[in-house]
Amino acid sequence: MSWVLLLLQTSLRNVLSSFLNVVIGLILLVGTAIFVVGGSLVDSMDKAMSRSIIGSIAGHAQVYQASSKDSPSLFEGWQIPDLDPMPDFSRVKGPLMAHPNVAAVVPQGINTAIVVYGNTIDQVLEKLRKSVSPGTRQPKERVESLKSHVRQMVSVIQSDMAKLDKVAAKGAVDPGSYADLRRASSQGFWSNFDLDPLGHLEFLENKIAYLVPDSDQIFLSYVGTDLDTFCASFDRTQVVDGQAVPKGQRGMLLSKYVYEDQFKLKAARRLDLLHEGITTKGKTIAKDPGLKDLVKQNKLQTREIVLQLDPLSTRKAVAILQQTLPSKEGDLAKLLSSFFDTDDLNLAARHKVFYEKLAPLLELYRVRPGDFLTIKAYTKSGFVSAVNVKVYGTFQFKGLEKSSVAGAASLMDLFTFRDLYGYVTPEKVAETRALQRAAGAKFVSREKAEDELFGGSSSVEETTQRTIDAGALLGGGKVQRADLVSRVYNREEIEKGVALGAAIVLKDPSQLKATMKELQDICDKEKLGLKVIDWQKAAGNLGQFVFVAKFILYFATFIIFVVALVIINNAVVMATLQRVREIGTLRAIGARRLFVLAMVLTETIVLGLVFGTVGALLGGALTVWLGQTGIPAANDWAYFFFSGPRLFPGLSLGSLVGAYFVVFLVTCASALYPALMAARVPPVRAMASED
Amino acid sequence: MAKNAEIVSIQKVHKDYPLDKVVVKALQGVDLTVHQGDFLSIVGPSGSGKTTLLNLIGCVDVATSGTVLIDGHDTKTLSDRQLTDLRLETLGFIFQSFNLVPVLSVFQNVEFPLLLQRRLTRDERAKRVDALLAKVGLDKHSKHRPSELSGGQRQRVAIARALVTRPKIVLADEPTANLDSVTGETIIDLMKEMNRSLKTTFIFSTHDAKVMGHANSVVRLADGRIDGRKAKAGKH
Repeated sequence: MSWVLLLLQTSLRNVLSSFLNVVIGLILLVGTAIFVVGGSLVDSMDKAMSRSIIGSIAGHAQVYQASSKDSPSLFEGWQIPDLDPMPDFSRVKGPLMAHPNVAAVVPQGINTAIVVYGNTIDQVLEKLRKSVSPGTRQPKERVESLKSHVRQMVSVIQSDMAKLDKVAAKGAVDPGSYADLRRASSQGFWSNFDLDPLGHLEFLENKIAYLVPDSDQIFLSYVGTDLDTFCASFDRTQVVDGQAVPKGQRGMLLSKYVYEDQFKLKAARRLDLLHEGITTKGKTIAKDPGLKDLVKQNKLQTREIVLQLDPLSTRKAVAILQQTLPSKEGDLAKLLSSFFDTDDLNLAARHKVFYEKLAPLLELYRVRPGDFLTIKAYTKSGFVSAVNVKVYGTFQFKGLEKSSVAGAASLMDLFTFRDLYGYVTPEKVAETRALQRAAGAKFVSREKAEDELFGGSSSVEETTQRTIDAGALLGGGKVQRADLVSRVYNREEIEKGVALGAAIVLKDPSQLKATMKELQDICDKEKLGLKVIDWQKAAGNLGQFVFVAKFILYFATFIIFVVALVIINNAVVMATLQRVREIGTLRAIGARRLFVLAMVLTETIVLGLVFGTVGALLGGALTVWLGQTGIPAANDWAYFFFSGPRLFPGLSLGSLVGAYFVVFLVTCASALYPALMAARVPPVRAMASED
Repeated sequence: MAKNAEIVSIQKVHKDYPLDKVVVKALQGVDLTVHQGDFLSIVGPSGSGKTTLLNLIGCVDVATSGTVLIDGHDTKTLSDRQLTDLRLETLGFIFQSFNLVPVLSVFQNVEFPLLLQRRLTRDERAKRVDALLAKVGLDKHSKHRPSELSGGQRQRVAIARALVTRPKIVLADEPTANLDSVTGETIIDLMKEMNRSLKTTFIFSTHDAKVMGHANSVVRLADGRIDGRKAKAGKH
């Protein structure tokens, strides 16, 4: 053993004996440190991202119909994969739940929809219509307030049109619009309003409302699911505003992120983003072009607020703004423009005034919990389908509140989802039958259709043109809608029907691979025609991110170590050439070739391990430091990958072991050639004179 | 007086070195016999073949033709490993430039061949090394590195290293060439003392007349041939 000790001793002493060794050592040190830090980062991100994906909507695994053209990709936004439906979810759930490691099977389907809004004047006219309609008549003061609000809107539109007239090309504005506006702003129009309120309203709705171009449509991505099971299984789900959808009922929970981003008054949303940018992200309006742009938009786009306020609220808002700024200006638009001209110094105060004093005068959100949303979506066969659904509130995933990725999808009950996706629900069947009856439609088989329609013995009545009793149908529809809203579905009804896929939540996630295989076996045995995939695959491209990050890290490390290998190889060759006489001497005094080979190899490996250890310690220390301070998420994607605003990486044992392994391999590989070269040094070289 | 046993026997040895397109004939039919306990000096001008002859005796090179017998072993018939083992067990080397391992201490440099032999225990090694260092007057420098020693001291370390395995032959190539004359003298005295006390055969090359004066036998080389051999009476 003594000569092994001698080898180690000689090697250790040689570590710092030449400048070349120090260079080699530093390369290995840096490479190891990068490997340890990078490996720990990727591992931590992998864990954080799996928390984000598994904890939001993916679950540990997903099942879907194996015959589908695509596979599920849960975070792809508007690219909805083409999935065949599972005809009966209840048939799938039982066998899967029978596996001892399965905690829950949550039916799911993802789709996107459009929510279309009328503009601000439409909304006020709707209120005015309600206030004068026989069934919903309201006190005179309320009617007068709404009337003056509309008059104020008309005058705003008139002044906008006057400005437009000056800059727009001749003929760009329909001359008839000027005449309509003149009529709508005339004293006579409003004096006669009460004589025929509905007629006047019709004129305003058809001729004036369209002149305000602020109608909007929101693109909404949603997950249709069994809401009770979803909320119980994905325990990061938190209701923020309103309430959860009552057990077994139809309804929707909007994503809080989407609610803030899309449904909020734009000026308020921009003010929030400015406030957040300064207080939590450490940005400044002075230096950040994004924040500067928000200020610019807020200064220019005051119309939304101006139109929303009735004369009384306008007076209050003007008083508040005059006092805050302070200013003697009487025009609300100009005051708002000055108010929103925020900088780093006044933003916090303006934000406070806005929410404490102005916000109570405004409708901050287009939809409030309890409202109905009309959602239009494309069915699987390409038709547009529309459903009214009650919004019960908003939700978020705990820890992912600010993530646009996790917060992209809203939640919807499975029945509404099935309606929108074009699946036949019992209510749909009843509605179609009622329409058929009302229209006197007759079933005609496809084979006999031509004969029946155009043949001599046509059984289709040509002469009788029946009218559909729209009132009765709509009336019936109202009853039906009310029924649908309050109807409580039992578990069997929820589960017996179509789902596009299902998320599987496991009791012991470490057994994911084995469980997936067993679940696939169950699906095959039961002939369910399903395919089981893990969360990473279900997340689509997003799930592949960790692979990409790992690939980049390993590729970068590979390049570093290949460069290191070449440099170390050259350096050791040079060092060996410098030591030819020393090696010759060792051979002359009785050292065998193998000893010389082992000596050069050991020296380089010891050098690698010494500097590798220093590198690993440095990398470890850096990782621990990062683990305490956290790496801030620079954008929405990073927020999702980090599963929160900061990533706190933990030192991964795998990276440490991996680093040592790589250093060992690299030093062995790079020292092998010089070691063989050294072993071939003949002992006679010891006799060479000094020069 | 009866002659001691032959320890080196060289017969009709030729050594050629190809140099570009010419062949340099370093040794041309050399015959030499060395007996155990000899204190032999090989002398001659530069290029006469002194170092080549020492290389062949030291088994670090092989002859082009002829026979080299070292302690009864024909070096031509031995493998690289056998030659290495022969060097380790039978020969000791003292180099002109000392050739110590710079990262090892004086003690470790001397101990090195014993470690290669893997025969003695740690204590036995320490005892032998300490005794030898005391003999060459470096017992107080055992922990020093070669770079901390003078030229004469380094050569003493080299002598101790050459003797530590108790070899039958010690070869020294111009052992005083890099030393001043006084130091060179003491080194030769030391070698002589070792030759006397340990009965080790010393073969050394030199072209210093003073140094060769200490040898009991002087072999003169010229142009790769033995030009004469002179033995000093009574020295043997």
